[in-house]
Amino acid sequence: MKRNKVVFAGGGLAGLALGAALLPGRVVEAASVPAASQTLLDSMDAELTRAMHSLGSAGTDSPQQPKPYFLSYAVADSDAFSMTAQYGAIASSNESKRRIADVQMRLGTPEQDNTHGDHRTSALTTIPLPLTDDRAAIERSLWFATNRGYAKALDGYLKVKTEQQVRAKEEDGSADFSKEQPKTDLLPPAPALHVDKSAWEARLRDLSGLFKQYPDVFFNTVMLQASTETDYFVSSEGAKVATPNQVARLIIIARTRAADGMDLFRAETFEADSLANLPDQKTLIEKATAMAKNLVDLRTAPITEPFNGPAILSGRASAVFFHEVLGHRLEGQRQRGDEEGQTFTKLLGKQILPSFLSVADDPTVKNFEGTPLSGHYSYDDEGQEARRVDLIKDGVLETFLMSRLPIASFSNSNGHGRAETGRMPTGRQGNLIITSSKTVSDKELRQMLIDEAKKQGKPYGLYFEDISSGFAVTTRRSPQAFQVIPLVVYRVYVDGRPDELVRGVSIVGTPQAALNRILATGNKAEVFNGICGAESGSIPVSAVAPSMLVSEIETQRQAQGTARPPILPPPPIGGQEAK
Amino acid sequence: MHMLTPRFHRTKKLGLAVLFATVFTASTRAQSDDPMLKAMKEELAREKSQLVLPGMEAPYFIEYRMDDFHTYEAVANYGALTREEESRQRVVRVTVRIGNYEKDSSSSRGDGVVMIAPRDNDPDALRFALWTATDDAYKNALRAYTTKQAALERYQSQRAENDFSKEKPTTHIASLAKLDFDRDEWKKRIIEASGLYATAPEVKASADQVQYSTALFRAAATNRYLVDTEGTVVRQGYAGYSNGISVGEQAPDGMRLARDNGSVAVTAKELESWPAFRKQVIDDLKSLDDLRKAPLVDAADYHGPVLFSGDAAADTMTRLFVPNVEADRPEPGTAARTTGAYASSYKARVLPQFVSVVDDPLQTTFAGRGLIGAYAVDDEGVPAESVQLVTNGMLTNYLIGRSPIKDFPNSNGHGRAAPAAPARAKAGVIIFKPANPVSVAELNKRLLAMAKEQGRDVYMVQTMGGDAPRLLYRVHASDGSRELVRGATFDELDIRSLRSEIVAAGNDPYVSDSLGAIPQTIIVPSLLFGDIGVKRANEEQQKLPYYPPPPTD
Repeated sequence: MKRNKVVFAGGGLAGLALGAALLPGRVVEAASVPAASQTLLDSMDAELTRAMHSLGSAGTDSPQQPKPYFLSYAVADSDAFSMTAQYGAIASSNESKRRIADVQMRLGTPEQDNTHGDHRTSALTTIPLPLTDDRAAIERSLWFATNRGYAKALDGYLKVKTEQQVRAKEEDGSADFSKEQPKTDLLPPAPALHVDKSAWEARLRDLSGLFKQYPDVFFNTVMLQASTETDYFVSSEGAKVATPNQVARLIIIARTRAADGMDLFRAETFEADSLANLPDQKTLIEKATAMAKNLVDLRTAPITEPFNGPAILSGRASAVFFHEVLGHRLEGQRQRGDEEGQTFTKLLGKQILPSFLSVADDPTVKNFEGTPLSGHYSYDDEGQEARRVDLIKDGVLETFLMSRLPIASFSNSNGHGRAETGRMPTGRQGNLIITSSKTVSDKELRQMLIDEAKKQGKPYGLYFEDISSGFAVTTRRSPQAFQVIPLVVYRVYVDGRPDELVRGVSIVGTPQAALNRILATGNKAEVFNGICGAESGSIPVSAVAPSMLVSEIETQRQAQGTARPPILPPPPIGGQEAK
Repeated sequence: MHMLTPRFHRTKKLGLAVLFATVFTASTRAQSDDPMLKAMKEELAREKSQLVLPGMEAPYFIEYRMDDFHTYEAVANYGALTREEESRQRVVRVTVRIGNYEKDSSSSRGDGVVMIAPRDNDPDALRFALWTATDDAYKNALRAYTTKQAALERYQSQRAENDFSKEKPTTHIASLAKLDFDRDEWKKRIIEASGLYATAPEVKASADQVQYSTALFRAAATNRYLVDTEGTVVRQGYAGYSNGISVGEQAPDGMRLARDNGSVAVTAKELESWPAFRKQVIDDLKSLDDLRKAPLVDAADYHGPVLFSGDAAADTMTRLFVPNVEADRPEPGTAARTTGAYASSYKARVLPQFVSVVDDPLQTTFAGRGLIGAYAVDDEGVPAESVQLVTNGMLTNYLIGRSPIKDFPNSNGHGRAAPAAPARAKAGVIIFKPANPVSVAELNKRLLAMAKEQGRDVYMVQTMGGDAPRLLYRVHASDGSRELVRGATFDELDIRSLRSEIVAAGNDPYVSDSLGAIPQTIIVPSLLFGDIGVKRANEEQQKLPYYPPPPTD
C-alpha cells in the first residue's frame, strides 16, 4: 500500500486545526470518520473512463497522439499525527490531513512503453485532491493531472522510441509491463485517528527528560507518530481496491560524543497498529534508561582495531544485515537495467546461502510472536494482492521480489510492487523472514564463536548486539560494498575474561562473501521494524531473523568525527548559575 | 497542482482604524515576567563567563535569538478544500563572534547555528538547546576566524571599515503577536471563491476554459526574542494575513494566461471583504476571457512612452530599485562599497531629479490602514530609523544593519531576518515621493499628447506578472481608446530607465504589501516612462489540453 512520506526531523508535519475549540486535555476527534469513500471511488472511476475514451486524437490511435493502453489512479487518503520532544519539552505537535493522487499513464504497448529504461518516471503525475467528497472538484483535479500526465507520458514515449532505435541491443529484452488479473476488493477502512494529546505530551516530556540525568548525552529526541490511511486504486484494467493501514510509532534517539570526537548514537523504535498498543510508559522508561547508560559506557569504551574474524550478530542485527545485504539485491528491477550490478541475476537455481537457511518475504503476516510487523499490507501499490514469496529455499535462490516490471527470468508480479506516494512502484521488501534449520541455543552459539576464534588463532570474536542500517550500493559504478553501522559491539575473549564493549566498528565486505560464511544460527527470532528508502521512496518494512554466527566478518574503523564534546557541562536544572 | 505564488496588492481601503501597533513598553516587570527571556539571559551569562577552550580566544559577542512561528494556511481548488494546516514552531539561532569589532570571525554569508527549540515554555529545555547551539557556534567561529585571517593575508589591502558596528544596547518589550481570524468564515470564502468559475452566473459560460482555480488564505504570527552580551533585550512580534485567488487558462495558440490577486493586511479584519473578494475573482475570470480573445502584441519592436499604473510601478521598483539600496558587504579583497547595481552610485543620481525616496519603518499606517513592513526595532536589536534613500534623485543613503560598508560605520536599524536566517540589510516601508505629482487624468493626457506628437500608438501597463506585463493596453493616438494585447515583454526596463526615462509621476500612491519571508511595504504612484521597449515575448507555446475538462453542470 502506498504511504505518505514520514518526516523524521524535529519540525514534523504541518498541523491541522481541528474543530472550533481545541482545549488542552480533550481527546481530539477527526472531523469525519474516514469511511471507504464511495464518492471518491466513483469520481476516480468516472474520470478514468472519460480520460481513456477521450485521449488520443479524434478517438483514433495516431502516432502523434496515441491512445493510452493503461491508466490508473491511486489515492492515499491519510490523517497523520506527529509529536516530538527534546530536552524534556515538547518541540512540535502537528496533524496533517492529505489526499494525494498518483496518476499512472502508459502509452505504447506492454512490450515497450514510455516507462522503458531511464524514463520510468514519465508515467507518473501526482496531485493533491480535495479533502471533501466534492465530485466535481475531485474529477476536475484528476483531469488536470491526467492531462499533464499524458503530456509527460507522450514525451517519454517519443524519447523511448528514438533511443531504442539508436542503442545497442539490451541484455534483458523483457516487456515493460506484465499481464495481471485486475482485482476488486474494498476492505473496511482504517478507523479514525484519536490522539490524547495531553497524555502523550506528558509521556514524551518524561521520556525525553530522563536523559537530563546523563549530562554526557547532549542530544535526545523522542518522536511519536500515528497515522491512519486508506489507499484507493482504480485502473483501466478494471481493478478497484481499497485497503486500510494504520500505524503508531515511538522513536527514541540519543547522542553523545567521546573525548576524541567520535560521534555515538543509539536509536530504539517501538511500533504497533495504534497508540494504545504501544509499550507502556514503564517499559519505555526502562529502554530509554538502558540506552542512556549504554551511551555513557560507549563514551569511555576502547576503540576497536580493524578485525577479520568470527562474529555473532544478534537477531536484530542479523535482521538489518539481511535487509541490506540480501533484501535490496533481490528486488526484481535490480536484475535488469544498464546501471544495476545484478549480483544475483545469473544465480537463479544456485546455492547462495548455506543450505540450512531459507528466506521468504510475506506481507500477509501482521505479527510475529506478538510483535507487529511494519511490512504488512494486503494489496501492493499496483493493486496486486500481497502474497508470501519464497525467495530462497534451503539456500537456493528461487525467485525475486516482483512488481509489474517483468525481468528475463520472471514475467509476472508477485505482489511486491511498492512505492511512496509520488513515486513509481518497483519491487520492494515487505516482511523479510529468515528461517534456519540449524539452530542452537544462545549459550551454544557463544561457545561456537569462541571455538571458531581459537581455531583461527584470534584472541577474540565479536558480538554485534545492535546495528543501524547504512546504505546498500547496488549500482554498477561503485564497488559491490555495503555498510551497516554497528552501534553496540562487544569483544568475546577466548581466554574467558569478561566481554568488553568497544566502539568505532563498521562492517564492510561484499555481499556474497558475507552470506556464505554463516555457520549456524540461534533459536530465537527477533524483529527489526523500520522505514526503508530506495528509488521508489520510503516505505515501512520489517525483517525477522535469528542470531547468526559468521565465520569471518571484516570490520574497519568507523570514520570519526573531529568535533570535541561540548565544552561546558549542560545548564543546571532549575535555572541560574553564572559565576 | 498550480501553486499560488503571486505578490498580493491592496484592494479597497476600508477606513478602519489600525488595530495593530507596536507597543513601546519597556517595563522591567514585563522583562522579568517572561520566562523565556529569563532563561535566555541566564544561559547567556553562563556562557559569557565560562565558555572558552583552553589556549583559544573567548567570544567577544554572543547573540541569542528565538523565533516563534505560528502559521495557518488553507487552500481550495475548484470549489473544494484541498489543504488546511496549522503549525507552531520555535527555533533558536545562536551567533558567536571571535576577535573584536574591527576584525572578527563573521562572514558575508551570515553565521550562526540554528536548532529546534521547545514549544513548551520550559526554561530548562530552552537552555539545553541554547547550550548545544552555543557550543557548535563557538567551535565554528574559532575555525572561521583562523580561516578568515589566513584568507585576508592574500590581499594587498584590508577594508577600513569594521566587521561589526558598535551600537547602543536596546531594551524593548512588546506584547506578543497572536493570530486572530475567523477560521470557518475564511474557509467558506476560499471554497466559494475557488468554485466561482463554475457557479457564478457572470462567468460560468466560460468554465470549460478555466484550467485551474485556486484560492488561499494565510495567517502568520512571528514573535522574536533577542538577547546579546551587549545587554540588548528585545521581544516583539508581528502578524500578517493574506487571501488570494489564482486562475489560469490558455489562449488558442497555447499561450498560458494567468491572473493572481488578493489582499494583504496586518489584521484579518483589514483584508478585503467578501463582496470585494468575490468581485476580484469575477473580474479576474472575465479578464482571462478578454486575454484569451486579445490579439498578440505587435510583432515589430516598440520603443516609446509607457504609462505604468501604481501597481505595475511598485512591482518594478521592488525588482529593480530595492535590492540595490540594501547594503551587502562585498567579498573580501575587493574595494567595492557594496554589492548590487548601486555599489558605486553613492551621491550619484539614480532617479529623476523630482523624485525622493524614504524608507520609514516607523510609519505604521497609510491612508488609515496598517502597513505590513512597519517595525520598531530590527532583528539585530537596533531601533528602526527613517532613512532618506534618495534626495532629489540622488542616492544619499543605503539601508544597513550591523555590517558596516564604506562611509556607513553604523546600522540605521534595517538589519532584518527571514525566519531562522541571519539578519541582512532589508527594506521596511519604502515610499516614493515625487515633488510635483499630477493626477492620473493628467498623466493620461500627457501620454496621449506624446502619442499624437510622435504619430503612433503608445502603451499603458495595468499590472505585471513577474517582470513581464500581464495587463498591457495599446493606447490609440487617434482617440486615446485602449486595446488589450497579450504576449508582450518589456525591453530596456532597467536602472538606466529608472534614472532617465521617468518623465512624470501621479498623485495616486499605490500600497503594495508583501507577506513574504520578510514583510515589506512599498508605496509608488503611477509613473510615465518616456522610452521603454515593448516586444513579443515569443515564449514556448504549450499544448492545449488533450481532452476537455469534465462538464461542470
